[in-house]
Amino acid sequence: MSEKPFFIGYAAVPTALRFVMGLVSALLIGGAAVLGYAIGHAQDDPGDGAFRFDYGRQTVTGVIELTPLPVMHVIEGSEQIAAGDTLMLSGAGKNGALPRAAALDGQMAQASGVLLQRGEIDMLQLRGGRNGLQAAAGDGTTPAPVDLGHWKLAGEICDGKCLAGAMRPGRGISHRACANLCIQGGIPPVFVSTQPVEGEEFLMITGPGFSPLPEAIYDAVALYISAEGQLSRHGDLLVWALEPDTIEVLP
Amino acid sequence: MTGAEIIVEAARIWLWIGAGVAVLFLGFGMAMVDEDADGAFAFRPLLVPGILLIWPLVLWRWGRLAMGSDDWAWRYGPPRAIHMAMAVGLSLAILAFLLGGALVKQSWPADSAPQQLSAPEVSE
Amino acid sequence: MSVKYTPVQWNRVKYCYDALLVAGTILFLAVFLPLPPEALGHTRPVDPQITNARAFGACAFVMLSIILMIGPLARLDDRVLPLLYNRRHFGVLTCLVALTHAYFVLNWYFAFSPTDKWAASLSANTSYGQALGFPFETLGIFALLCLLVLAATSHDFWLKFLGAPLWKGLHMLIYPAYAAVVGHIALGALQSQEVTTFAWITAFLSLGVAGLHLAAALQARMSPDPQAHAVPDPAWREVCDVTDLREGFAQIAQLPDGKRVAVFLHEGQISAISNACAHQNGPLGEGRIVNCLVTCPWHGFQYDVRNGQSPAPFTEKIPTYRVRLKGSRVQVDPVANPPGTPVPPVPLSKAARV
Repeated sequence: MSEKPFFIGYAAVPTALRFVMGLVSALLIGGAAVLGYAIGHAQDDPGDGAFRFDYGRQTVTGVIELTPLPVMHVIEGSEQIAAGDTLMLSGAGKNGALPRAAALDGQMAQASGVLLQRGEIDMLQLRGGRNGLQAAAGDGTTPAPVDLGHWKLAGEICDGKCLAGAMRPGRGISHRACANLCIQGGIPPVFVSTQPVEGEEFLMITGPGFSPLPEAIYDAVALYISAEGQLSRHGDLLVWALEPDTIEVLP
Repeated sequence: MTGAEIIVEAARIWLWIGAGVAVLFLGFGMAMVDEDADGAFAFRPLLVPGILLIWPLVLWRWGRLAMGSDDWAWRYGPPRAIHMAMAVGLSLAILAFLLGGALVKQSWPADSAPQQLSAPEVSE
Repeated sequence: MSVKYTPVQWNRVKYCYDALLVAGTILFLAVFLPLPPEALGHTRPVDPQITNARAFGACAFVMLSIILMIGPLARLDDRVLPLLYNRRHFGVLTCLVALTHAYFVLNWYFAFSPTDKWAASLSANTSYGQALGFPFETLGIFALLCLLVLAATSHDFWLKFLGAPLWKGLHMLIYPAYAAVVGHIALGALQSQEVTTFAWITAFLSLGVAGLHLAAALQARMSPDPQAHAVPDPAWREVCDVTDLREGFAQIAQLPDGKRVAVFLHEGQISAISNACAHQNGPLGEGRIVNCLVTCPWHGFQYDVRNGQSPAPFTEKIPTYRVRLKGSRVQVDPVANPPGTPVPPVPLSKAARV
């Protein structure tokens, strides 16, 4: 039997083991660099949604409509928001704007905050308190919703804020818990349709008959699903009254 | 209180009790049960996280060692035989997670076109 | 080996080991984190908090996989034992990296909400009944708790205080923890990734860990340490023949109580001690005699083979066994003597006389 080298941590390392230890060290260091690069490089595109801090604060006036979550039909726009746009509204963080907007349904209001944008989807994150949303003078009426019929759509339920750029990426299963928290907090949920519907890829969603979204929906958030519901146009925003019992999880 | 809040509160209480046990044990308990710890202080802060987490085990061992009821023989019986069960269990769990994860993984149904099931109600 | 506890008993190998660990970890993160969006083909960058969570999470998984490979590799080839020597520092660093991952996740995905972030991490996703969209966060929380317990009880004090078998049993939490980490990744990150590189790396590393553990367990089953056989005198068990013994080395045998005895030949005399080291129950019989002392192959703890005592000033003790020669057959009394009991060694030259 040949004498095998014997390693004792506090004693000198046997010469025969030095080569093995050097090789293992090089493998570990090389492996760290290769794996760090490979995994870091394999990240999906998080989309182009973003907080538009570069636009500065936007202050607009328009009519509030509760769908039941609040949107604003802009009448007096700003530099970046045109009159006629329909904005989803949110508070700071994962807080919705409903508590402040509830008393303003159908009334003129002034909204101020920072815009979130992703493709055709716009959301205004309001400043705190009355600085963010307050009743305003002027005449304005909620544009009459246009019924677009009953639709079956495929896609994903997201929270409108993270999807619009509050987080990048702001969708997918990794983000699912965050999306649920946002929706629970009153952030408008949004459906990302696989293909444009009436020209729109993103639709705001509500429960059946424009009721608040039921809790059953949380099990389907961030999954690829198909579902049915009544579609209508509110200003330039599509609102889909999703029927939870028609949800099918797609393969 | 929701279930999650109860769990968080229970964890907080658990850690506070652990902090109490840590003060007692590091203060005067450990020198009683381990002569190597007597007069050695620099390493004691390192033990705090462990006591916070597993304080019931600490109390149990402290009691046994302090009462001298610890049997020496069991200290020399490493649980080697269980490795096969651990290896098989670990392998099955890894396979189940990898295969299960791959099986349920969805692909974006890009081909699925919106379908209008019924036309809008025309209000004349 | 300890006389009085210190935070860490440093030596040159530990310095080098830790330097390598820290360098590897920093290198992984330094390569991952600064990748610009253009290099990844992205229009806008991934949020820094999410990049951090991903980098630290992936790093912790790779580290944990390597840690779990060390044990079975060292069983299969003892040249890997140097990696085992300071594995606990590897574990503590991995726990810190995993904790950083959790910090970024908790303070991003679960922050900014009216719900408390700790409670939110448990309540935001409760779809336990489905594989798709399963609350993979809970698997991560479980694994992190296990890693915390392991890291927090890694000091030698805990080995002595809990006793090596209980300590080792507690540290077997690493198996369910690793399985949970694989589930955490497979049901979480991998579900929302189009690029499959990380999926392949996850599969490769985790199946590597599983394969090595199965191989080591199978090897232990195929070539187990021999049983000490019964002999006509029921007070004794036969371990081997004197010709099996080699100066400075041991023959290991399993006793009826499931414990192992290591029979050493030292300076032409036979002694028998417990195969389990007092420190971490390392296999003393797989070590050898260095400077007249049995030396454990795991961490170099040493014992006088004639009395099972560590040399002064060290205080560790292991049980000894009575040993005798019957012709050329080596026999031990399977009832262990209390740790540190001197037993007169049996000279080989007596073999012919009995």
